[in-house]
Amino acid sequence: MNLVFYSGGSEEENIELDEECLSLLENNNPTLVFIPCSSYDGDYEFRDFVRHYQRFGISRFLYFPIDVPQDNVLLKEVFQSDLIHLGGGNTYYFLNTLRKRGYLSFLREYALEGGLLSGLSAGGILMTPNINTAGYPDFDKDDNEEDLTNFKAMNLVKFEFFPHYKNSVRYDRELRKQSLITKNPIYALPDGAGIIKTPRALQFIGKAWCFHQGLKTLINS
Amino acid sequence: MTRLKKNSLRSWSEEAGFKPTARTYSKFKKINGKHPFQRETKDSFVAYRARVRHGGKVVVFNFELARAMGLIPKGHPDKMTKDLEKAIVDTFAIVIINEYDQINKIKYPEKDIKPNFYMATRYLQLQHPNKQGKTSGDGRSIWNGCLETKNGIWDISSCGTGATCLSPATHIQKKYFQTGDPSISYGCGYAELDEGLATMFFSEILHKNQVTTERVLGVLKFPDGYAITIRVHDNLLRPSHMFNHLKQSNFDALEKVVNYYIDRQIKNGVWTDMPENAHARYDFFLEKQTEVFAKTAAKFEDEYIFCWLDWDGDNVLMDGGIIDYGSVRQFGLFHSEYRFDDQDRFSTSIIEQKNKAKYTVQNFAQIVDYLKTGERRSLKDFAQEPWSENFEKVFETAKLKNLLYKIGFKKEVRDQILERNCDLVQEFSKSFSYFERAKSVKGPKKVSDGINWDAIFCMRDILRELPQLYLSRGESIKRKEFLEILKSSYATEEDLLLSTYRKKKIDSFQDLYWQLVKTASSLQKITQNNVLLNLTMRSSIINKYDRVTGDSITTITDMMMEKIDNLSPDKLYSLLENFSEYQNLDPDTDKSLEKNQWQKSQLMRGFLQVVRDYREGL
Repeated sequence: MNLVFYSGGSEEENIELDEECLSLLENNNPTLVFIPCSSYDGDYEFRDFVRHYQRFGISRFLYFPIDVPQDNVLLKEVFQSDLIHLGGGNTYYFLNTLRKRGYLSFLREYALEGGLLSGLSAGGILMTPNINTAGYPDFDKDDNEEDLTNFKAMNLVKFEFFPHYKNSVRYDRELRKQSLITKNPIYALPDGAGIIKTPRALQFIGKAWCFHQGLKTLINS
Repeated sequence: MTRLKKNSLRSWSEEAGFKPTARTYSKFKKINGKHPFQRETKDSFVAYRARVRHGGKVVVFNFELARAMGLIPKGHPDKMTKDLEKAIVDTFAIVIINEYDQINKIKYPEKDIKPNFYMATRYLQLQHPNKQGKTSGDGRSIWNGCLETKNGIWDISSCGTGATCLSPATHIQKKYFQTGDPSISYGCGYAELDEGLATMFFSEILHKNQVTTERVLGVLKFPDGYAITIRVHDNLLRPSHMFNHLKQSNFDALEKVVNYYIDRQIKNGVWTDMPENAHARYDFFLEKQTEVFAKTAAKFEDEYIFCWLDWDGDNVLMDGGIIDYGSVRQFGLFHSEYRFDDQDRFSTSIIEQKNKAKYTVQNFAQIVDYLKTGERRSLKDFAQEPWSENFEKVFETAKLKNLLYKIGFKKEVRDQILERNCDLVQEFSKSFSYFERAKSVKGPKKVSDGINWDAIFCMRDILRELPQLYLSRGESIKRKEFLEILKSSYATEEDLLLSTYRKKKIDSFQDLYWQLVKTASSLQKITQNNVLLNLTMRSSIINKYDRVTGDSITTITDMMMEKIDNLSPDKLYSLLENFSEYQNLDPDTDKSLEKNQWQKSQLMRGFLQVVRDYREGL
């Protein structure tokens, strides 16, 4: 299982993470799939996604918005691809749609069978056991307009992912509090940082902090 | 969670810094009924006094359009200020003092009466008993004026401003009606609020997608529930504004209207290379109108826009722009057999629009000959003249260009492919049409407002997915897969049978598609993969899964009407902006994601679902 978690930030900030991510691909001419959170602006996000990865010599891409019905032809192609990237957006909407359409289990299976799965922000949170981190702090959380109550996600790792982290007292206060009520460690990463999870190792790119049982630890600098 | 976004262009701090001055809304005062057309010919309009219509409130105002016109300053925020609302209401909340009022000597306070006359223009309309246009025209509209700013020139008219003597009801029932008379609907001179909102949403979407159209500047509502819709275009003349004079052999009026139109096109900067000689001007006019109507007919057909073009030239503007959204639709599939049932007759179908457009140009040819010779020859004499050949040529080329656009090719590549290998594009076009025009074995059926024979294939879906799948696999897809992607919800099992003929057609489609890719690759000197990648990116926008249809606009308007009392003008404008931007399927738009990361409201999410649910319909 190979997973890459992107916190966010600009293209330039993520170059190192991108290179590490693409080095995990075994195919010299890989097909990358972009799954946006929502089809609302997904086509334009896809255009940006393609332009970004073209810089690395990639030329085969699939666009797979999940909140519109898809035929089986494209569906099969997606799950035979080399990398599936989950975009950012509203985590509740994303999870709800993936679950409703039955793609959540497909994606989990894809990753467990060796497919490379990457996720930006909300997309990264979805690969963890649950999406609790999307719900705090109050000043920087996603709106649960879906009224979702089941927050279980893909459960591919034993940690929670907190993207767009800012090393400040008000974030820390909330993260420390949350880390007391969740059994898994919470990895909080600022924009430009990321996590790479392979069968052999857990690697952090850029700064990363761990919040666990009320304590904050710098784990990568 | 989203990436952190920049603040939007029109941030609160900017709004807080915006303070209207006494001059901010001064341009509204220029919209006072006066219009240069009034100076041309008295035979082209009926002049009405107007008075204040009390109790008007702004429901929505199109800030972007107002800024583009120069009506409000370019730095004006998307916010309805008290002064702005007053300017809009003072300018547009009016009702005419019509013949009924005059006959019945109804008195209005002097202070309520506007100083200038407003014109209701005369034009030909097929639904009128008089087929020469002697009695027809703006039945419930007046022209507010013509605004000239450094940004350009705009005609402004309002719908719902009172019953004129040009409405069909007046001539069918042979009497003048009091404005608001509840015994008749359309003839009462008022307009419905939902009509205005539907027009505004539909026209903004089409405008963003490069379809020429009237646009709505704003909608006002009144305590009696009726509304006024303010429409704007750079030239609101219709062919029917000329055809009435033509049918009546009114040479002087016709000459003046045609000359007015030509001069206005020059002034608007649309026609730049006009010859000076009078006859050459008319030839130029005919050439341009031929091109405009051939291209418009091709665009309507290819974008599945049903506009009910007909012999009267009433439902379209001189520049091919859409006007009067009452019967306008955009189909999700090529429902080429759909006909609107207008009680006493059926409308034209989408494929018949081409011949109606051509017939309109035939009238222009007759006009030009009449103006040049002073003799009105029979319309039939003009059926086979050179303009006709030109029309066919422009139409066919436009169709091929439109097809290449829909596939996803950029303009320069489209031009090159057509120049290098037009035959290939024509062959592909035939193959495309075979699937596009395929109909259900179930045959024609009644629908809520007419008749239809369901199309069964969604060409937008195949154009969106094919380049991706070719890119991923490097080869054609299986025939069954092709049909799986192409089939619409209207297709039955029988419709999807893989006959020998259909197999051949699928193979041919894919073969020709690959040939187009190879041609582009050779012309652009890039790999086939890169061609497919460019097509993938562009066609995923052009052929987005969700595209509005007429039915979806109607349903969305109903949803808005349910919440209308709780929607402020700013909120409604925000909905309009975001919804029309979401429906902007132009891949060449420089759409910044920052701008569109909008927290979707429940209403907006409802809109998206409606678009999805009705995407294959009428």
